[in-house]
Amino acid sequence: MSVLKRLLVTMVVFFTLPAIYAQTLKGVVKNSETGEGIPAASVIVKNTAGGVVAGDNGAFEISVSSFPVTLTVSSVNYAAQDVTVANASFLRVALTPLLGQEVTVAASRFNERLIESPVTVERVSATTIRNAPAPSYYDIVANLKGVDVVTSSLTFKTPTTRGFMGSGNLRFNQIVDGMDNQAPGLNFSVGSVIGLTQLDVESMDLLPGASSVLYGPGGMNGTLLINSKNPFKHQGFSFEFKEGIMHLGDAARDASPFHNIAMRWGHKVSDKFAFKITSEFIHAKDWVAQDYRNYARIGTDGAPKAGTRLTDPNYDGINVYGDETSADIRQVLNGVAAQAPFLAPYISTLTTNPILVSRTGYNEMDIIDPTTLNFKLGGSLNFKLTPGTELILAGNWGTGNTVYTGSDRYSLKNMKMGQYKLELVNKNWFLRAYTTQENAGESFNATVTTRLANEAWKASPGATGWFAQYGQAFLSSKLAGQSDYDAHQAARAVADVGRPEAGSAEWKRIFDSVRAKPISQGGGLFVDKTDLYNYEGQYNFSEMFNNVVDFLVGGNFKKYVLNSEGTLFADSTGTIPINEYGGYAQLSKQLGIVRLTLGGRYDKNQNFEGRFTPRATAVFTVAKNNNIRVSYQTAYRFPSTQQQWINLNVGGNTRLIGGQEQFWDFYNFRSNKVYYLNDLRQGTAKEYDYVKYKPETVSSFELGYKGLLADDRLMIDIYGYYGMYKDFITRTLLVQNRTSAAISQADTLNGNIFSVPTNIREGVKTYGFGIGLDYRLPSNFVIAANLSSDVLSDVPVGFVSFFNAPKYRFNASFGNTGFGNQNRMSFNIAYRWQDSFYYNGDFANGRVPKINTLDAQISYKLPAAKSVIKLGGTNILNQYYVNAIGNARVGGLYYIGFGYNL
Amino acid sequence: MKYLKIKNYLLLLLIAAIVVSACNKDVEQFPDIQVEKPGTALAGIADTLASSARSNNSLYSAIIKKAGMAEILNNRSSAYTIYVPSNAAVKTLITALTGGAVPAGSPDAVYLGFIQSANFTEATAKGIVSYNTLPGKINYTTLGTTFPNYQAPSIFNPMPSLSALLRLTIFPSARNGNFVNNVPVIAAGIEAGNGIIYETGAVVVPPQRYLWDRINTDPDFTYLKAAVLRADSGTVAGNPASSLVAALQSIGANLTVFAPSDAVFKATLYTLAYPVVRAGIYAQARAGGLSEVAANAYADSEAPANTTALTGTPAVFSNPVLFSVLPAISVRGVIAYHILGSRAFANNFPATAANFPTLLNGSIAAHPGVVLQATFAGPMVTAATVKGAVNPTAANIAINPTPDPNGTSDQHYLNGVLHKINQVLMPMQLTF
Repeated sequence: MSVLKRLLVTMVVFFTLPAIYAQTLKGVVKNSETGEGIPAASVIVKNTAGGVVAGDNGAFEISVSSFPVTLTVSSVNYAAQDVTVANASFLRVALTPLLGQEVTVAASRFNERLIESPVTVERVSATTIRNAPAPSYYDIVANLKGVDVVTSSLTFKTPTTRGFMGSGNLRFNQIVDGMDNQAPGLNFSVGSVIGLTQLDVESMDLLPGASSVLYGPGGMNGTLLINSKNPFKHQGFSFEFKEGIMHLGDAARDASPFHNIAMRWGHKVSDKFAFKITSEFIHAKDWVAQDYRNYARIGTDGAPKAGTRLTDPNYDGINVYGDETSADIRQVLNGVAAQAPFLAPYISTLTTNPILVSRTGYNEMDIIDPTTLNFKLGGSLNFKLTPGTELILAGNWGTGNTVYTGSDRYSLKNMKMGQYKLELVNKNWFLRAYTTQENAGESFNATVTTRLANEAWKASPGATGWFAQYGQAFLSSKLAGQSDYDAHQAARAVADVGRPEAGSAEWKRIFDSVRAKPISQGGGLFVDKTDLYNYEGQYNFSEMFNNVVDFLVGGNFKKYVLNSEGTLFADSTGTIPINEYGGYAQLSKQLGIVRLTLGGRYDKNQNFEGRFTPRATAVFTVAKNNNIRVSYQTAYRFPSTQQQWINLNVGGNTRLIGGQEQFWDFYNFRSNKVYYLNDLRQGTAKEYDYVKYKPETVSSFELGYKGLLADDRLMIDIYGYYGMYKDFITRTLLVQNRTSAAISQADTLNGNIFSVPTNIREGVKTYGFGIGLDYRLPSNFVIAANLSSDVLSDVPVGFVSFFNAPKYRFNASFGNTGFGNQNRMSFNIAYRWQDSFYYNGDFANGRVPKINTLDAQISYKLPAAKSVIKLGGTNILNQYYVNAIGNARVGGLYYIGFGYNL
Repeated sequence: MKYLKIKNYLLLLLIAAIVVSACNKDVEQFPDIQVEKPGTALAGIADTLASSARSNNSLYSAIIKKAGMAEILNNRSSAYTIYVPSNAAVKTLITALTGGAVPAGSPDAVYLGFIQSANFTEATAKGIVSYNTLPGKINYTTLGTTFPNYQAPSIFNPMPSLSALLRLTIFPSARNGNFVNNVPVIAAGIEAGNGIIYETGAVVVPPQRYLWDRINTDPDFTYLKAAVLRADSGTVAGNPASSLVAALQSIGANLTVFAPSDAVFKATLYTLAYPVVRAGIYAQARAGGLSEVAANAYADSEAPANTTALTGTPAVFSNPVLFSVLPAISVRGVIAYHILGSRAFANNFPATAANFPTLLNGSIAAHPGVVLQATFAGPMVTAATVKGAVNPTAANIAINPTPDPNGTSDQHYLNGVLHKINQVLMPMQLTF
């Protein structure tokens, strides 16, 4: 490590001017009640961005240009203090423990103490991350109130608030250091795969509810902001490794290790220049999606049903792929009857009802690389141009294997994504440009690829195809007097003769050859190199108005460049650009005990009408540290890039297409008319209404209270909200005759089926509440609990809402960040319970049972070595659960960790 | 200390809450689909037949053993319908098979001895048993009475090398009583553990030859044979699928042939040809200078022998002289009119006369077809008729169901059944 350190220093020194050091002030920050040092306390020169973070024992060292100087000293769960220092003598600061005192800009883009924020905001600090049982900072979000998480796989977790969760959640923004980290082509936020590394996270702010005004279109349900550590403030080399074990008692996999190594090196070369390098590596066997229940796909919205591979010839297991290929073998039997008329009367006794048969599938564990890999590399170069202005060149790059659930299970294999940013920040303004560069690598769609691999081994259609073999063998067995059950088993055995065993070299060869071929060439590989470019800026005029009113304006321009080489988007002839721009302004004023804030934002996408979204908030300070908040917020979401331009054959004659009118022309919707599939199934030919899809909107009211009670030891946060959604974007199925002939019911089986994005005209309403209690016990013990609820109402009949939220969820935690001899010990226990709920996903629907999880960790500090040893685990009772149907089944993960200079 | 107590209390509470509720249930599992199990607790078919309660089937049980099919017929994972003749019926068959070497009235042991002897081959036994065994359970009460019967595959594949799906078919019918082919089912079905047993009044013997084999070789069907060949001439070259000969020797066909004997053809052709022949002689005589009276007398004396010479052999159909008056298309029409596209045993005929389509309806859809009727004494057919549209009377089927090649009614072949009749059926007025 020291070699690396020296190398990096040498490199950096080459391109930096020798620093001019000012005077150095040393000191220590302590807890006024216990007298113990407060680790990671923040010491900043007041009204500047310059500052440092105290070490483990509260000791700090800060450079100041001159005396006297005023320092703001703060730490999580302590009241902040301004200290004016006259000279360089050793400074002792004692902070009083107090909850809710942290300062955040997330809730209104102005600096505010958490307790005074005008909307509900949940904060996770670096201290919380350090003391959390979860091995990844991302998992901590799940314990915040009102949060639901979808676990697609070990490294792919998607949080959301206030309902509508899903792996590819389009209604919840994730913003990392000001960069929206949604993969621009694949449309999911990749936060847990490619984002900040564990040791570089300074804080996370979660804003439940509509938040477009502040963070742009998309934040219908909430926004998660993740902020990294500035190398000017957070310096030194740190690393952490965790070695764990998982898959204990897993039906699908033997126990296997979990490896996680993270490092960060932040170094201030001079008062003008600092840099950081961060990296993280995760290596484990992934959780396995293993829902082998039979699934009713046709003629329903989709639901698990009775039947196994043995008892249902048309079995279609949720996490079994390839068995989606299904046919009615009556075609084969009737063919035999035509060839052999002497069998026709007998065959006619078998063919009264459809005999649907599916091909034999492969389980998810047989086709998806079990190894989940995640490598992240990040860093920044920070230049102080003036004491108040900083130029930041930063990048986060990541690669790995993970599994994501969207309209299907997608194996994201060797996916690469980078976000690069150039930013100029002043305390009153910023200018930022960033780009997201996505490369799907060798990613593939599990269903399509397995179905095609089945075809590559033995074609389904044709006189000697799989179904013909099956049908003939079935008939032969029936002719031998066998029951349907036995005849189906025998027929499958015949049709599957020579079928490559899962895991065999033959299977791997076939599967890999299909996987390597792009979708456009009849394979399963999707090539996605879509990029996003975003330019934004903001100016805060508050100082100009002498802080009588706070006023800020900002704007952004966003450009997507869709590039999938025709495998995902309709871009076979060249990349497709999409431009979007927006602007916002916000005004805030303190009027007696009320702080009023008014804001608004206008957004325009080249393919959609522009829309203004307003926001109004008020905070009533009813007593010191007791605030009531009222807000009205709106949000607006443009259809995603896929909803605009996808052009993907998903098998079963079905093609997902975007909502752009160009598709109507390309597929001749106007000359060869398209009809609603579900209506046609019922016997009604209802023509598609050719109405252009539009963005969806939400507006929500919130009332909340946050305050300190019981001798300032108890912090209460309560909220209730009411939201109205309009023009929900969903998909509907259309069908078209293949030969431009008149539509008939037979086309529901033989026609071209299109899945198109559409809006649901009817509005739906949501409401809910949350209550959180944090009680600060003496000796640094904190106990906390929260309960939250989300409800969807006014749902029209037949409307599939994808609401996906348990009615109630409950979290409780108990912890201490430092106790015992020299505060060496720390621990945390977190418990979560969520109610059962019905999950709707593009991949699968079904009831998710209630979930209990218990996470815990205990740590022991070695102050002399600046190290900590941590023993922890998540889901330590090893109670396997799924939090969305078709997703990975998650069990216990137990680890021991060692951290240096955390 | 106070705080510590609170802490412990809260901790305990938390732990208690966790322990009480911390058990995650798996996603909802559904009770599996109930699999249809054909087998019941009753004894299997072979065991049922071998039991002392079924002593009247002991000889057939011996044939099953000889065929090596006891195991299959006891297999509980399949369901069968099996036709089982009584011991008396088996004895009749054996007497017939041995040409009287095992005379009627021999003790049971003699019959049993024959079944077990090398003279009665395993292949024969297997053919009989498997032809009488059908997949699934036939229920006569729900079989329906559609004419003529229900064509059911047996489990007997006579030529597995040709196709794994080839099966000889057998014809249960609930018309005019319960039958299988032309054999009456004499008792209600007996439930066995893996199927149902129907007792029959005779052994249902599997057919071995094609219809064409009989027509081609029977000395009394030489005219019919010639007519069929003539019917095929001119049409087959362009369309082999329309060949009647091919159909008559195709395993896939399912036909009923009403076969007029040579004498019948001869008489009919004579009647048709006589006026033409006589008129020709008369005209010739007149041209030769004979008076009207003399020419008439000459024609009357010469015409019968000349007509006989012309129509007295099957070559009449291939006589180029007659091509203009007996075109292939007409012969084809007449022959097609003698064939039904299904397999009607005489017992499948209605007791009340009714019309049924023939192959001729393939070209003349509106044609009324033929009229069939049968007279029954109990389950036995004593008389059966088929009437052509322009025949003044119905043709009689010569009732003699003795198995091929000796009988004249219900002659059963791989691809159909043949009845010998005493008229040529006329679909329309035919003149030379």
